[in-house]
Amino acid sequence: MFKYKRTGIRNLAIALIFTVAIIALGAILDPYNQGQLAVVSMLFIGVLSVTLLTGTSGQISLGQGALMAVGGYASALTILNLGLSIWFALVMAIIVSALAGLLLGFAAARLTGPYLAGTTLVLALALPSLAIRFESVLGGDVGLNVDFGNPPAWLVSAFGEIGYEQWQLYATVPLTCLALLATANILSSRTGRMWRAIRDHESAASLMGINVSNNKIFTFVVSSGFAGLSGALYGLRGIVGPSVYPISLSLLLLTGAILGGLRSIAGALIGSALVVFLPDLIEWATRPLALSEQIGNYLPGLIGGVLLHLTVILNPGGIAHALHRHKNK
Amino acid sequence: MLEIRNLIASYGPVLAIRDISFTADAGKITTVIGANGAGKSTLLRVISGLEPATSGSITWQGHSLLNKTPEAIVRLGVAHVPEGHAVIASLTVAENIEMGALFRRRAHKQDVRVAISEMYALFPRLEERRNQLAGTLSGGERQMLAISRALVSRPSLLLLDEPSLGLAPLVVEQIIATIKQLCISTGLSVLLVEQNANTALAVADHGVLLSLGSVVADQPASLMRADSALRSAYLGY
Amino acid sequence: MDTALTTLFLGTTRGAVFALVAMGLVLVWRGAGIVNFAQMGQAMFSTYIASSLIISGHGYWFAFATALIAGALLGALVDVAVMRPLTKRSHSGILASESMRATVPVIASLGILGILQSLAGMLWAAEERGFPSPVSDVAVKAFGKTAPFTNFDLFIIIVVLLTLAATTLFFTKTGMGLAMRATALNPEVARLSGIRIGRVRTLSWAISGVASSLAGLLITPSANLSPNTLDLILIVGFTAAVVGGLESLPGSVVGGFILGLLIAVVNVYDAPDDVFLALLIFLLVVLIVKPGGLFGSKRVRNV
Repeated sequence: MFKYKRTGIRNLAIALIFTVAIIALGAILDPYNQGQLAVVSMLFIGVLSVTLLTGTSGQISLGQGALMAVGGYASALTILNLGLSIWFALVMAIIVSALAGLLLGFAAARLTGPYLAGTTLVLALALPSLAIRFESVLGGDVGLNVDFGNPPAWLVSAFGEIGYEQWQLYATVPLTCLALLATANILSSRTGRMWRAIRDHESAASLMGINVSNNKIFTFVVSSGFAGLSGALYGLRGIVGPSVYPISLSLLLLTGAILGGLRSIAGALIGSALVVFLPDLIEWATRPLALSEQIGNYLPGLIGGVLLHLTVILNPGGIAHALHRHKNK
Repeated sequence: MLEIRNLIASYGPVLAIRDISFTADAGKITTVIGANGAGKSTLLRVISGLEPATSGSITWQGHSLLNKTPEAIVRLGVAHVPEGHAVIASLTVAENIEMGALFRRRAHKQDVRVAISEMYALFPRLEERRNQLAGTLSGGERQMLAISRALVSRPSLLLLDEPSLGLAPLVVEQIIATIKQLCISTGLSVLLVEQNANTALAVADHGVLLSLGSVVADQPASLMRADSALRSAYLGY
Repeated sequence: MDTALTTLFLGTTRGAVFALVAMGLVLVWRGAGIVNFAQMGQAMFSTYIASSLIISGHGYWFAFATALIAGALLGALVDVAVMRPLTKRSHSGILASESMRATVPVIASLGILGILQSLAGMLWAAEERGFPSPVSDVAVKAFGKTAPFTNFDLFIIIVVLLTLAATTLFFTKTGMGLAMRATALNPEVARLSGIRIGRVRTLSWAISGVASSLAGLLITPSANLSPNTLDLILIVGFTAAVVGGLESLPGSVVGGFILGLLIAVVNVYDAPDDVFLALLIFLLVVLIVKPGGLFGSKRVRNV
């Protein structure tokens, strides 16, 4: 059903189209939507971490938001304490969150399904406690102030005046592209096949000589690196703090991955765009109805929950899978 | 009368039953014998509703058993003792027996009590161990418990899957004799699946020989017992 | 000494509520093989129903009973409308793999949680509400001394103990209790015995709904009611259930009390902010040292 043949060239093409489309969109949109599009690109990396972890290797994590926070704090501390540039900070974010993933992976390799879900959920709740415990370093409830800085001069001379939101978007897109290509390569590699074997039949995979627990830990390391990068970019928008990485962020990533399609890169992209723009879309669609603020605030959550349900029950492969099936008819 | 017509069924991806037809008379012991993988267990699982049939028909006393859940089929008087002394190890002996009668307890309160005491009379060793967990019983006792769990629902048809599996010959003899006694005294019908053809044919009235999911012989047990050609061709002795 | 006693009583009262939550989780896990992350969302919903009844002038006990019934119905509804269709489809497509069969119900229950919280927000406003307790919240006085617990603490402990006794009796002395145990232990033999396991499963969802709604009614007077308040209780209840072995009802109750004491100790001697950190460390230690929980069977959990 899911083949990854001839993927090298195709993925490169997809990445290229993606970059051009985002840059073009970035040039015509208003600052608010440029910002939203930047968030899509950032969360796309986070959703890819779910695609790898849950979609490919079958492990569920409700704590991806916590790993994003690890990445966020790592980058913020690199910038604020070491005075390095955001690019160094992002590399640092990937390294530190991958290490955190290694630790988590050791515990997770022994757990399945609901145990893993619950444990990672507790992790996501516990992390803010650390921020408060080590307030002098991590900034407590308020968090740490960071930003993307100013766009470099050569970019301004090439594109003209670049707003802050637009710069967020342009700074994120190349990294999103790298994440996309990396995911595509992993999925089509031997490693990806092993992960899928473990997902589909753990004991059979083990009989075939696949080291199940090492692979599970490795998946966690890779997935956490993705989450960390996503979290660092997400934090660079202004603040790295507990309120930026709430428990609902973990659920948002999972929702995006499921709605779009848990097993494909295209699904991850569709899902990220959906979860970011759905509230705006609902707000726009219901504006003529003049709903009360109370209902308006909760409507996206309700619709998101209902969509999640319909997807799981009627179309577990997500939008990407449905499109794929339609095309093949 | 149990009537099976043109039954086809799969066990997982394997086509385990390819076109089986035979009838089993009421009040008699009919045994289904055959080598490992002949489709015997699957046949019982299809009759009791644990596995779906692909096509064909199964009727018991005029009621179709096809496309019914196991819960509904028990209520039509068909009780199944699956392979491997199926009892619930962490329930007590008394609870295992009571479980078999749960669905009748509202309508037949008095009779359920009688049925339970009949089980203890049938297998006195169970009475001695009634408050022990079923997991602590010996293999023979577990088989007795599994049979009691089925009989306590007062079935008219008992499906017995390999009751001799892993048991000492003496114990097997005792259990089979009890079943035979019950057929004669209560008119219970039995469909007995066995790999041990000698034991089965010695007690059965009728024999059905399966090979690779099809019926190869369907005749009185006494004839089958005497047919050495048939035995050496399909049963290997 | 006084601090120690206060901690002990605080831990026991909270622990009693956590025990209910853990019991609710274990019931559904045993009955249907699903950890229901929406459980406290259901409890929140029925507590809001009780709160609205009290606000509109009805008595506490009427609201109390209605909330429990609502909890049962909501639990049954989740099973019939969501989980059953899901298990029916579990052999096709994305659900066909082992690991996803364990994962997808978790996702579905998170979806239910989202729906319930949004609905509650729409129906009952976003601001937090208080919730009354049926007895005065003053310290118990006996022999001229002030005890380190209040009337309400006493009420909680009595209600929970009565519930536990009733549950024990139900499971050990009634036919339905036996049917539920049989279904949890061996669904195939249960079905062959004529037990309608579909109904039994729905019933375990309903009972779980009652237990968690009761927990909601008992905890909200000391917290506040909002669509999200009970989420944290679920996490504690989950940890308690895992500590108790997830399979074992008595284990879940003991797990609940252990967690109650742990949290009280952290609250009193350390800082409330560290509660979840302590929870995480405790959970990881239990999972690594004793993966089957303190009361779990020796069965390996991932087979």
